[in-house]
Amino acid sequence: MKRFGLVTGICLVGLVILGAAVSLVWTPFDPIRVVPGQRLQPPGWPHLLGTDGFGIDTFSRLLVGARMCLVVGIISVSLAAVVGVPLGMLAGQAGGWVSEAVMRLADVVYAFPALLLAILLAAGFGASTVTAMVAIGVATMPAFARVARAGTLQVMASEFVVAARSSGTSPWGVAGRHVLPNIAPLIGVQASVGFAMAILAEAALSYLGLGTPRPTPTWGTMLRDAQQFLFVDPLQALWPGLAIALAVLGFNLLGDGLRDYLDPRLREVS
Amino acid sequence: MNHLNTRSGRRWLQGRWRLGALLGTLLVLTAACSPAAPATSPTTGAHTLEVGATLEPPSMDPFHNAAASIPQVLLYNVYETLVKVDSEGALKPLLAQAWELSEDRTIYTFHLNPAAKFASGQAVDSAAVKASIDRMKADSTITETLRAQLAVIDSVEAPEPAKVVFTLTRPSLMWLYDMSSTLGMVVDPAFTGELGTLTAGSGPYALKTQNKGQSVVLSKNASYWGTPGRFDEVTFRYFSDPNAMNASMLAGDLDVIASLQAPDALPQFADTTRFTTISGTTNGEVVLGLNHDNKALAKKAVRQALTMAIDRKALMDTVWNGQGTLIGSMAVPTDPWYEDLSATNAYDPVKAKELLKDAGYGSGLTLKLRVPVIPYAVKSAQFVASQLRDVGVTAKIEELEFSRWIPEVFTNGDYDLTIVGHVEARDLGKFANPKYYWHYGNAEFAKLYTAADEAGEESAIPLMKQAVRFLADDAAAIWLFALPNLVITSTDVTGVSLNATTLSFDLTTIASR
Repeated sequence: MKRFGLVTGICLVGLVILGAAVSLVWTPFDPIRVVPGQRLQPPGWPHLLGTDGFGIDTFSRLLVGARMCLVVGIISVSLAAVVGVPLGMLAGQAGGWVSEAVMRLADVVYAFPALLLAILLAAGFGASTVTAMVAIGVATMPAFARVARAGTLQVMASEFVVAARSSGTSPWGVAGRHVLPNIAPLIGVQASVGFAMAILAEAALSYLGLGTPRPTPTWGTMLRDAQQFLFVDPLQALWPGLAIALAVLGFNLLGDGLRDYLDPRLREVS
Repeated sequence: MNHLNTRSGRRWLQGRWRLGALLGTLLVLTAACSPAAPATSPTTGAHTLEVGATLEPPSMDPFHNAAASIPQVLLYNVYETLVKVDSEGALKPLLAQAWELSEDRTIYTFHLNPAAKFASGQAVDSAAVKASIDRMKADSTITETLRAQLAVIDSVEAPEPAKVVFTLTRPSLMWLYDMSSTLGMVVDPAFTGELGTLTAGSGPYALKTQNKGQSVVLSKNASYWGTPGRFDEVTFRYFSDPNAMNASMLAGDLDVIASLQAPDALPQFADTTRFTTISGTTNGEVVLGLNHDNKALAKKAVRQALTMAIDRKALMDTVWNGQGTLIGSMAVPTDPWYEDLSATNAYDPVKAKELLKDAGYGSGLTLKLRVPVIPYAVKSAQFVASQLRDVGVTAKIEELEFSRWIPEVFTNGDYDLTIVGHVEARDLGKFANPKYYWHYGNAEFAKLYTAADEAGEESAIPLMKQAVRFLADDAAAIWLFALPNLVITSTDVTGVSLNATTLSFDLTTIASR
């Protein structure tokens, strides 16, 4: 099957989006309310995936966790793209010292560990979803800048851009009419991959207590809570771990498949 | 239209893809796999003891830092006091062989053990005892707890090398107990170094090294004046993750878990051929502290409502696997004036809502719940936030590293609600100190407490009961439960006391094969 990866990716991402959407209007149980009598129930009915150490329905928490991971992914990736892509395009179009300056700046940011940034932000402003999103966003900016610059350089060398420029189209016109539409697919692919990274980073930050504070359920917090029940109820760690793994896999497959799909030559070859 | 060559991009993306999948898989694996537990017997052949503990001492100076993890290591092991509290809660001689008190109970005369000497070789004489107290009195930067305890000491005299006389400003029942803890630690007066990194005590052990982030190593004081320490070296290893500590114990790397932080894991240590489980009581009241400087929390009705909103029995079952004792006020079962007051302001969310409404918070109330990252505190916080939500109170949880919690919450009082275990013995007097981080400036309680403290042994207990009851009725704080003393040892280790009646993890009674 030629597009197996793409289809799998779409299915997995769709599942995450579906879960998040459903959680907006309905969850089987209250995802925050502690129910002491219902601790550590095994999977079954009515608790599909059982309950955690607080007696909260694991499935409900997973659904809300999907929402949190999408929110963090969308906002941090948007932040990275909104800042990174124009900078990359600027570097690609202007060239010379501007390009050097922007790209070295990107290198500096890229070299700074995202986790350290998150810890610094959490220390300064308190651990919250916003600090986690900013940390992830800033950390993934350089990737967008690099991809945008590489794409811009190629578009700028093409004949239709040379023609446009010689007929007097302004740099803004070139950027808006020619460069951006042509690098958009590339950015889309990068966004999908960045999304996967963002989910993983958000899970790591919540796991460390540097992300979304309790009691809001996130997959990272769920993993952390499950850790103490590893010997008593190992299934608890399985569900959020599986959710993170599948979501990351989904976004990566989607990005990969999307690129193959959008590139006509690759489509023919495969 | 796409003109881009994506070959190089593809390779790069595949690299990322692999990394992502790998990390995802790793997360699942680390989450789902349990550490292996080889059935090797612990290596206690050498005279060393490995103790697993949770909170790392931020420094080695108990006088300027209130962290209980400091005396856990140092009290009785490195620094000694005139008298010590045994595992039954009774006062026993240590540096003082005997003591007597005057008719009006304000003058205490201690007769020091003439054999006692510091690790440096210098004798522990009355001048050293006096110097230790005077040093604290002259120091404006000592902890708030010590400052309050010192206030009762009027003067210290050293008429003879082996005789030291304390004159108190008023009779005090608690005073001698305070003297059996940090307040009474006698420091070598010849010592001029930095107490944060070095120790100068007279105990059977001395600090060897502190490996920040890992461990504190004590070595035997070879010239100890009393019964020599049974171990050449004792290592306190710190684990922020209870599972890691349990796994370490199961693997045979630890001889003792000083305090089990994951009671749900108790069944792991069910193998009695390898492990001994000790389940006693501690002085640790898990207190949901209320900042009385907060406008809402200054109202008694609001505090009562918050107490009624929390089902403390269910909390203990959920958070600590039902291990522990429900107390309801600032007293634990080993205190002579203890009574179970958990029925005061008992769980009643309906009434809680009414009280809040009458107090003017019917439309809701938002409070900052800032907790240190300690297992019982974090878990209790989530439970508390959930139950407060049911009565319309929003508790915004923030987790802080303990090293940040101390300056921000404990010292600066930047919080509305917080949760921490108060592990000092007989510590209800802290509510009489309006500067203590709860900022509970209730004059009536202070009067009750002082009266009880000043009374003679027989009349003190009913008065103390009254003071304890007053705290519960006034909902000065919310007492979630008293921590159990859950100690796991390898079967080779004996002598660990059943109840933790002091701050010390007392090594002097422990032996191993």
